[in-house]
Amino acid sequence: MTDDDLTTGRPECGEDVAAYALGALDATEAVAFERHLESCAACRDELLAFRHVVHALPMSAPEHSASPELRRRVLRAVADEPRRTAAGAPAAHRRSRLQRRLMPRPAAALATVAAGAVLAVVVVAVVLLSSSSPPATRVNDAQVTGHGTAQLRVTGGHGELTLQRFSPPPAGEIYEVWLKRGTAPPSPTTALFSVTADGTGDVVVPGNLRGVSLVMVTPEPAGGTRVPTHPAVLSASLT
Amino acid sequence: MALVQDGDAQAFEVVFDRHADAAFSLAYRMCGRRNAAEDVVQEAFLSLWRSGARYDRTRGSVRSWVLSVVRNRAIDLFRREVVHNSRDVSDDGLAERVASAADTADEVQRRADAAQVRSALEDLPTDQRQVIELAYFGGFTHSQIADVLELPAGTVKGRMRLGLGKLRVALGDPSGAML
Repeated sequence: MTDDDLTTGRPECGEDVAAYALGALDATEAVAFERHLESCAACRDELLAFRHVVHALPMSAPEHSASPELRRRVLRAVADEPRRTAAGAPAAHRRSRLQRRLMPRPAAALATVAAGAVLAVVVVAVVLLSSSSPPATRVNDAQVTGHGTAQLRVTGGHGELTLQRFSPPPAGEIYEVWLKRGTAPPSPTTALFSVTADGTGDVVVPGNLRGVSLVMVTPEPAGGTRVPTHPAVLSASLT
Repeated sequence: MALVQDGDAQAFEVVFDRHADAAFSLAYRMCGRRNAAEDVVQEAFLSLWRSGARYDRTRGSVRSWVLSVVRNRAIDLFRREVVHNSRDVSDDGLAERVASAADTADEVQRRADAAQVRSALEDLPTDQRQVIELAYFGGFTHSQIADVLELPAGTVKGRMRLGLGKLRVALGDPSGAML
């Protein structure tokens, strides 16, 4: 019997630590393990130690140099896209233009995930769009149940979520954007994202939002899921 | 980093130059294709720039922060591609191996650390290294790995734990010996 067994009475709990640290638990297991962590000091300690190891793993990758062309692409994009100031000038349409010009292939898909961010909390934003939505950008403050703030910007049926000061998501999880239409269950999108260390994130909502009544973002396990496994902690309505 | 936080493009350029190789190496290791790896790196750095990312040193090094974004972007790409094939790393001759650019003390130390991590990983029993690499670099869950390797899920998780425990010891945490 291990220390974990003595602490929790669950002989399998220690076995989940490594998989969790590697982001390799599925959604249900991750939720259960996080609940277990709250009461198991041994697992918390072991997880902390394993995280240091996991953070070192990228160093084992064979070393390659980034090409001069990649450097030019990134720096040119940065030069073309002055970063948002503290005042928070919107960058959604600027990014779309850049995405089309600079990131053709897989990056075009990646771009929908949006800039920014790594780590956070669940975000839910409500969007009610009528067929007469004006082309101008509408900005809606989101209701947040956790830390941080969020806004939903909608331009011509396309939306972008802007998150600030959100807590990091649980280890091994990622945020997933969902669209809800009427009374139908939320449908998953291809937008999987995180927030930066300071809790900032800009996420382009895939597709056209006409007919969509709710845009949700929930923390999900690393591959995303077909059904939300966490409750929403933020919502923003256009009405 | 403070200058980057203030939107200083030149400071961002310094950060890019300092971490681009590591970022590309990780992306290339995960994607196995140069084009995909470059897209991942570009998206990662642009996301850091656009979001006005403010680095929090209490949460680790800048490099760890950058690499975590790169890994997330790569996994995002996997999700989109649906098909999880052709992700074995094969040197297609296009990606230049980093030559001998160890011209700073930091770089020398970094290379020594990298060699230590690489060695520790290589020293693991194959079955333990395999599941760790599939999870971290492949973005697979333990149950997906179990399916592929035709093993019980508990066996996969057990190998992960044993492997990380050994790495913990090899990389300098003696308490890992208790695992």
